Amino acid sequence: MSEAVTFWYGCNVLRHGDIIHACLDILRAIGYEPSPVGGPDYCCGTVKDANQVTAGGMATRTVGKLNSKGNRVVAWCPSCHSHMHDFMEKGNDRQFDMTYLVELLHANRRKLLPLLRNRVEMAVMLHKHVGFNELVPVNRMVPELLELIPGVKVVDGGYIAPGYMCASFAGLPKALEDMHNHTVRSAKACGADAVVTTFHQCFREMVGLDAAGAIPVYNYIQLFAQSMGLPYEDEYKAWKKSPEAAKEMIGAERIARVGIEFYERAVLPELKKRPNLR
Amino acid sequence: MSGKPLIGQRLKEFQQTEVQRILGACTQCGKCHEVCPMAQYSKTPSQDSKSTVHGVLSVLKGEKGTPEALGWIGVCTRSGVCVPACPENVDPKMMMRLARMTALGGRGLPKQIDVKEDRDYFDRVRAFAKLQLTDDELKEWT
Repeated sequence: MSEAVTFWYGCNVLRHGDIIHACLDILRAIGYEPSPVGGPDYCCGTVKDANQVTAGGMATRTVGKLNSKGNRVVAWCPSCHSHMHDFMEKGNDRQFDMTYLVELLHANRRKLLPLLRNRVEMAVMLHKHVGFNELVPVNRMVPELLELIPGVKVVDGGYIAPGYMCASFAGLPKALEDMHNHTVRSAKACGADAVVTTFHQCFREMVGLDAAGAIPVYNYIQLFAQSMGLPYEDEYKAWKKSPEAAKEMIGAERIARVGIEFYERAVLPELKKRPNLR
Repeated sequence: MSGKPLIGQRLKEFQQTEVQRILGACTQCGKCHEVCPMAQYSKTPSQDSKSTVHGVLSVLKGEKGTPEALGWIGVCTRSGVCVPACPENVDPKMMMRLARMTALGGRGLPKQIDVKEDRDYFDRVRAFAKLQLTDDELKEWT
């Protein structure tokens, strides 16, 4: 019998529909019945450090909604997961068990193994951070998961980035530039064909290296999807690689859903952004 | 008056309790600042870790922080390297997070540092969702 779980994916992973869809298929394939929830209406409030009244309201609202689901929560986003642990559950009655997706997949390696049918011939370096690893040992677990994929070889360039994930570097351009450059140098030094991220926020930052032609970048879920033969296309990377053609790739119908003015002002600049490589 | 607790009141009380715990436990030895991998990116780098931590505690007390303390608070990215370095189990990561909330004006005290607000943050998330999910998925999941 499958276990019903609430898959709390967060906010910013909505840039990567392929990752959300693949997570849901993977969860179903290993015996879970996931109900996905996320977006601003399920925000953890971690982005509101400058307004704790709002952050407190968001935390209460989201814990209440997750309580009402009555199932174990499987979190995708490291910010949401750590904010629940550090703050949300301290100010609200959490009535559900909570697991981080990497932990759940790691505990289900035996079920995952036979599903990984396609070879993915690639030497990969995991893009690691220090902070979140203390809460969930992702720097050990994700390489162990990746090594289940036939053809994947995990190599280690010895670089661990500061911060708990890349999004925390948004306002720190020099630190971000150093991280991009250290990542590329480490990956080349250890013979990696690609950089693999654990978190979507890191994928969003690191995929700029791919777009700039420095090194291919994937999220670990995308390699699982490839090996399982899941059909999802990484549209975000395609748009990021060709921002001038993105409007055409997205198509008029979808552009109309967000409005051309908003697309050009707030979406396109993100797609055009490139790392400063030395 | 309904007697119903204000939304966010318990979170506020938790934060206040943590501030008092940290103020009581920290000996200002400066080890957390010494090991911080982000301190080098501060706009006002400091060679004096003890006085920098003293400045952080001032922020937590609601007092004006030193430029060195505010510079360090501004570059904290929650690396957590400070946590095992602390000989008093203060949890400097929590100390810096609360100091950041305070310095940003988030806890009701005067703002001491500025962070560029991304006014499009949630609208951009919604826009990408509209580009990537179906109408049914948007309705049921978000």
